[in-house]
Amino acid sequence: MALILGSSIIVKLVLILLLFFSVVSWAIILFKFVQVHRANGESDRFMDFFWKSKRFDTIAAQVDRFANSPLTVLFNEGYGELKKVVEGNGASEGSALSTDLGGIENVSRALRRATNSEITRLEKYLTFLATTGSTSPFIGLFGTVWGIMTAFEGIGKTGSASLAVVAPGIAEALIATAIGLVAAIPAVMAYNHFQHKIRVLINEMDSFSTEFLNIVQRNISGK
Amino acid sequence: MGARTSKVDTGIGACFTASAVIHMAVFLLLAWYGSHMPPMKIQETYYVDVVNLPVAAPRAGNPSPKAGNSQPAPAPPKTPAAPMALPVPAKPATAALTAKPPKTSAAGKNPSVESSAEFAERMAKLERQAEARQAEDALKRLREKVKNQGSGRSGMPAASGKEEGSSYEAYIKSRLIDAFRDTISYNSKNPRMVVRIFIDANGKLSRKKTESSSGDPAFEISVLRAIDLASEKFPPPPNHRMFELGVIFNREGVSPNQR
Repeated sequence: MALILGSSIIVKLVLILLLFFSVVSWAIILFKFVQVHRANGESDRFMDFFWKSKRFDTIAAQVDRFANSPLTVLFNEGYGELKKVVEGNGASEGSALSTDLGGIENVSRALRRATNSEITRLEKYLTFLATTGSTSPFIGLFGTVWGIMTAFEGIGKTGSASLAVVAPGIAEALIATAIGLVAAIPAVMAYNHFQHKIRVLINEMDSFSTEFLNIVQRNISGK
Repeated sequence: MGARTSKVDTGIGACFTASAVIHMAVFLLLAWYGSHMPPMKIQETYYVDVVNLPVAAPRAGNPSPKAGNSQPAPAPPKTPAAPMALPVPAKPATAALTAKPPKTSAAGKNPSVESSAEFAERMAKLERQAEARQAEDALKRLREKVKNQGSGRSGMPAASGKEEGSSYEAYIKSRLIDAFRDTISYNSKNPRMVVRIFIDANGKLSRKKTESSSGDPAFEISVLRAIDLASEKFPPPPNHRMFELGVIFNREGVSPNQR
């Protein structure tokens, strides 16, 4: 505590900046943890439900149960586009799957668009974690360098080079690097963890899009 | 355009609050831990200058036959005699026992000279005298020992020096050297400053008088700081009298002002 209070104004500003980075990065870590955990769990349950169900309209009626899964967004987009294509062809609501191949292209584009928007949503705020992980040690190092400069300036003024004079200044300076590392290490670890989890979800979305299009195409071919 | 399903990130505000609370808790925990930690004891560092020993006569307390001291030589043989004198009460008995056979043999040779009773009385008298002399010697040695141990270190039995060999001046100089090593600072090429310091009976620096200035303010400040720093560790002077010392400070260190 005395080390922080006794440091120079620049070092204090650096410490405040690092504290801000730490608070925000931990908020993002908590948020992303909940978001990714829910997305994974509900995606698994949605896939089970999807393969058990026989009709798209049945799934659409209960899709709200899996609101946190990115696959439900894909399904809603794909199913909505499919309905529009069917309605555009003058078909009735019940024969939603009886459409031509041109309509499948529309559904495919809608799924791609939904996938991209979900990837953007899942990766939101992760940039801040990467920034914190890469810049916090340098910001802390800047505070340390500044603190050591100030300490040496003080030594030059007092004319004393004893350990009792040198050590407190250096200790005050090193606290900035320590806090920089404290902010950076969890941010880097969380960034890598979430990147891995999101990559798994992206693969699931790609697989789901392919399966959705296959089902639509099979039904068209079957008619 | 269709009604696209878009999700709003709810809960990020709650996470910010939680993060701020966690940081505050960690900060308070560290502050509490820091306040409850026992204060760090700063161990005093002792420097031993093996080149400049802080004594006037470094041989003090060292056995040396060249010191011209007449006492050391006889002292070692006497020292073992002292413990031997302790079983003195046993000695007369043994002496008497050993003395008896010659007496009987002598009596047997010349029975007309003196009777056995007279002889025994004379022997007892001699033994008493020897006993008294031994006790007197032991007492004398004990008195000398107590006298030597009275004021601190007494050195080894055959030592050439005494406790006076430890010099207060040399000790003060060594303290000044240590302090000046920490504070030295100068801007001129070859600064030299002569200071006379006065230490009162309690070991406190009562006055410091600059006898010769260096003309270098940085150097003079460092010298005065060194004196102040060293004065924190000054012991009371010997005999509790005012002590006065002239010291020359220069770039190389500290040396006494020989006048």
